[in-house]
Amino acid sequence: MTAQRRKQRTALLLLLPALVIVLIFFGLPTIFMARMSFNLHPDQRLFVPGFTFEHYGALLSNPVFTGAIWTTVKLAVMASIATVVIGYAFALIVWLKPPRWRLLLIGVALCPLLISEIAIIFGWWMFFPKNGLLSYALLSLGLVNDKISLMYTEFAAFVGLIYVTLPYCFFILLSIFDGIDRRLIEASGDLGAPPLTTFREVLLPLTWTGLLVAFSQSFIWTMGTYATPSALGPDTLWTVGYLIQEQMLGKHNWPLAAALSMVLVLGVAAVMVLTRSLMPKRASYHV
Amino acid sequence: MTERTALELESVRRCFGSVVAVDDVSLSVAPGEFVTLLGPSGSGKTSTLRLIGGFEELDAGAIRIKGERIDHLPPYRRDTATIFQSGALFPHKTVAENVAYGLRMRKVERPERDERIRQALEIVRLQGYEDRYPSQLSGGQKQRVALARSLAVRPAILLFDEPLSALDLSLRLQLRGEIKRLHDELKFSAIYVTHDQGEAMAMSSRVAVMNKGRIEQIDRPEKIFHGPANEFVFTFIGESCCLPVRRGASEVTDRNGQAVALILQNSLPEGDSRLYIRPSRLKLAAEAQGLPNRLTATIHFIEFLGDMHRYHLKAGALEVFADHAGPIGHDVGALIDVGWRSEDMKVFR
Repeated sequence: MTAQRRKQRTALLLLLPALVIVLIFFGLPTIFMARMSFNLHPDQRLFVPGFTFEHYGALLSNPVFTGAIWTTVKLAVMASIATVVIGYAFALIVWLKPPRWRLLLIGVALCPLLISEIAIIFGWWMFFPKNGLLSYALLSLGLVNDKISLMYTEFAAFVGLIYVTLPYCFFILLSIFDGIDRRLIEASGDLGAPPLTTFREVLLPLTWTGLLVAFSQSFIWTMGTYATPSALGPDTLWTVGYLIQEQMLGKHNWPLAAALSMVLVLGVAAVMVLTRSLMPKRASYHV
Repeated sequence: MTERTALELESVRRCFGSVVAVDDVSLSVAPGEFVTLLGPSGSGKTSTLRLIGGFEELDAGAIRIKGERIDHLPPYRRDTATIFQSGALFPHKTVAENVAYGLRMRKVERPERDERIRQALEIVRLQGYEDRYPSQLSGGQKQRVALARSLAVRPAILLFDEPLSALDLSLRLQLRGEIKRLHDELKFSAIYVTHDQGEAMAMSSRVAVMNKGRIEQIDRPEKIFHGPANEFVFTFIGESCCLPVRRGASEVTDRNGQAVALILQNSLPEGDSRLYIRPSRLKLAAEAQGLPNRLTATIHFIEFLGDMHRYHLKAGALEVFADHAGPIGHDVGALIDVGWRSEDMKVFR
């Protein structure tokens, strides 16, 4: 009993430094921002201390804002699903391949993390336009008859978002796969399960938690990111991130920007709660 | 003829790049027979097992189960069941669900399935553990669940892939006895891979000693022990002393050319040869008197092994060790005789 308690205390002590940093640099600003979202915004001043639900009211009634929230969620969900599917397949391949392939594939997965988001966006500007790489590739393969431009489309924003979040998703899933005894796959086949059944019965349940974590991770990322969708998407692609920037820097309406930010915070919290509830009770299986 | 074999390997071959892991291995297992593949690591025994299970692809040869070729089939279409070294229990399934897995895949329906799960768990003495998860079991219990899971599907042949090597010694001995008991009771056909000769000797109907991808000898355990076919088998099975000697024109010397006091009943062929004797067959000091083969050597050091004293002796560059129950009354540095009968010695060139 006392040993148990001592163990708990040790764990808490070890957690403490990280906890303090999170509280000071993350918790406090969030609280300040929540407070800011209720401030008044008369005439052209940034904000005036006060208390009003006006900004939240605007978020719910103004079609520009509701539209932006909807667009953001839709884009984030689609991009996250695609990211998780691609990341899962890639992690599975790396896990199944012999070790000599592993380093190479992990290196490939690390590449996007070595380049800044802005540089990646410049890369897409070489890739998507009418005279870009994609257009030439499709044309020379005979898949299209004329040069095409995918620049400034929702598809480009979608692809850009996947690219940004894929490495994180991949590494989360790979770490989950690495915790699985590869012999389980053989054991399943050995007992008479065809590959798809093995996937459904063994691999999926054992990676389910990782899938949910990877999904929420990329959802959080794609929902909050601002540069990639606004640089690659059409001018009409108004995401919450874009609107925050516009309200903050363009319209100088800090309380409204803060209220929009709170929407993102709540959205992320909702996704966290949802994924948590989908996780099995026995979160880890120690073999 | 094929009717009477559970499993048949015919000139099976498997290469990894330029390395030949399994080289022209032929083997047949009669129904109810327990055949062990014994060999050092890298001898191809596990590769052979994985070829039978379908986890590796054959480069040449044929594998038949009950007379039918199966080497083109994926693992899930083969009537085999493997007990892995790690157990490979599904950690997200309970004991009962683990045992049920193979039965579900074979479309065994409800009442019979439950009955067979019950039987299988009873056989391995794990009734009452149905709802536990593998993480709640000890290492030995896990291996017993793995065994139950494989037994439940009643495969044509059970494949054991060093199932005990991850366990500690006492548990290993206990489970070894249990597998032996189960085999006597159920008469399943099995191939058992191990590098532990004790396991091989104790459990097997026949032992195949493997080395460098080939079967060196396959026979009953007693035959392997007492009549090893070649030098590798002799040295791999049981302990043995090796005397590398050279016979010149007249006298016998060690490899450095130094004369040694070695008397042999039958004269050696000229040139280099190696004599092998089991340490338990060597007689020391007074007991060596009158034996036809004798070596005079100095006691180098003495080990106390509980039941035995092991005497390490030196004569020139030759080293032998002999076991003796109790001390012989000579100390380190004493010059004594070591003797043995001719039938206890093997000579390889």
